[in-house]
Amino acid sequence: MLWLALKMLFHEKIRLAITLIGITVSAVLVLVQVAIYLGSMRNATALILHTDADIWVTSRNIQTFDFALPFSEEVIDRVRALPEVERAGKILLAYGNLKLPDGGLEQVQMIGYNPNTGLGAPWAMRVGNAADVKGGDFMILDESAEPRLGPLTIGSNWELDFANRPQSFKLVGISQGIRSFTTSPIVFMDYNALSQWMADVGWPGQTAFIVAKLRPGSNASRVAAALRRELPDNDVFTRDGFIAKSVKYWTIETGLGMAFFLTALLATVIGGSIVGQTIYASTIEHLREFGTLKAIGARNGEIYQVIFSQAVIGAVAGYGLATVVVLSAEGTVERAGVPFHLSAAVFVALFVVLLLACLGSAYFSVGKIRTLDPVSVFKG
Amino acid sequence: MEPALLVKNISKIYGQGENRVVAVDSVTLALARRELLLIMGPSGSGKTSLLSMMGCILRPTSGEIYIEGRRVSDLSEADLPDVRRHFLGFVFQAFNLFPALTAAENIELVLRLKRVDKAQSRVIARDLLARVGLAKRAHLYPADLSGGEKQRTALARALAGDPPIVLADEPTANLDSKTGKDIIGLLKALAEESGKAVAVVSHDPKVEALAHRIALLEDGKLMA
Repeated sequence: MLWLALKMLFHEKIRLAITLIGITVSAVLVLVQVAIYLGSMRNATALILHTDADIWVTSRNIQTFDFALPFSEEVIDRVRALPEVERAGKILLAYGNLKLPDGGLEQVQMIGYNPNTGLGAPWAMRVGNAADVKGGDFMILDESAEPRLGPLTIGSNWELDFANRPQSFKLVGISQGIRSFTTSPIVFMDYNALSQWMADVGWPGQTAFIVAKLRPGSNASRVAAALRRELPDNDVFTRDGFIAKSVKYWTIETGLGMAFFLTALLATVIGGSIVGQTIYASTIEHLREFGTLKAIGARNGEIYQVIFSQAVIGAVAGYGLATVVVLSAEGTVERAGVPFHLSAAVFVALFVVLLLACLGSAYFSVGKIRTLDPVSVFKG
Repeated sequence: MEPALLVKNISKIYGQGENRVVAVDSVTLALARRELLLIMGPSGSGKTSLLSMMGCILRPTSGEIYIEGRRVSDLSEADLPDVRRHFLGFVFQAFNLFPALTAAENIELVLRLKRVDKAQSRVIARDLLARVGLAKRAHLYPADLSGGEKQRTALARALAGDPPIVLADEPTANLDSKTGKDIIGLLKALAEESGKAVAVVSHDPKVEALAHRIALLEDGKLMA
């Protein structure tokens, strides 16, 4: 019956084109919404994901990675004291202003990391090495900041201002594809340089994160629970727990996720409705033919196959076109600075959602067939 | 000899109480192989209801239907499509061809329903179209066929799968006189040469002239 479904669909080319355009637009909308959401969440959790640590210790009541508050560096000794901890390190996070060549200012997210251990270091470099920031006022900027900062030249000096205390840093490396959720460019620097700078403005001995790598076989959840008892003035997360906390904050507490979800849901409903409306209208128009099919011996199930096949064909073709459109536009969108991330699993999952929406809509037409009286075909 | 189709004392009643309408009233009728039976009667006499019950697409209120000696009036809705597929061919007044399918594909559709494989369906469809004089029109869509050609295609479709019984509802109503005569000629040839049992509902005097037997219905009752 797939054969008949295809013949009927392609016989009405204009109707087919309108249906496909509708499904494609709807699927593109869904894919783009989900891709931007996932891209944003990836940016929001990228540093946690790429830091080789099982445990994250933060200030109390932290909402997300980007909003870390300073706390005493000495906490690291209590973390190291746990027998399950193989090694521990500190990561600093602060916000400053970068002076642009035209005199303007750009807010940046400054991350101080230990260039010896690489904990908190940029994980993808276009030029230079993450260890190059060691021992001085050196910094690494991400290439994604170029549209806002202008061309990045290795060896150029940039003035950074933190708490009204400007300081010059030399650009020694350019990282690749590392963005913050807040879209502020990320400046990577030596932990000691940033720590000293903070001390100079009145925050000595402070850090933003203490991260710990556990010995093989250790249970991260148990260690996190033990640390929570040990550090009542801090929050302690497992790696996955901290990712979940950050995602939850941006998704639910800011309402951002709901906005993405509603748009994606609306697009799915629109796509499903377009298919449903088209198939329903087509079923009504072809009732005589379906009645004839019944009269000549087709079972209801065989006619349902025609209708559901049309829904599946519409979903597959529309989603296929949408995939081509989205993949073609992906590079351009990312170059424009829009976070964008889709994996094969997400493509498959969204296809299943759209397919179910189309099949659900087609189901309304099935009712018409069930009650169709084949005697009607005898009426001229 | 056992009739190909036998309806025994069948009735069809629509509605209840004041709205009760007896469309077919205790009709007993046999249709033999090699026979062209004409069912006649004025509008509203129950011809189409009778034909629909003979074709197992309308369930009688009472009575029995036998096809090739097998009682089919008691079969479930789930079993009736199989009976229609294997024992019955239909020709409709309005042709009821699929506009999205070519003449050949309209015939192949029935064969595919009968689980005939694709290649064989194609060959059989061409043969059937040749038999009704449309060998060179097989690739055309119904929109490109004349009324007579459409009805010939519908006739070829009714013969797909070689059913023993062919039921035709006003097959000449939408055709000009000459084409109508050709169609009736084909139906008669089917009965006489291919041994089919053919029942035709019609008002057409041309059919009357060619029919082997006439069943006259009035107010749902068989008069002759």
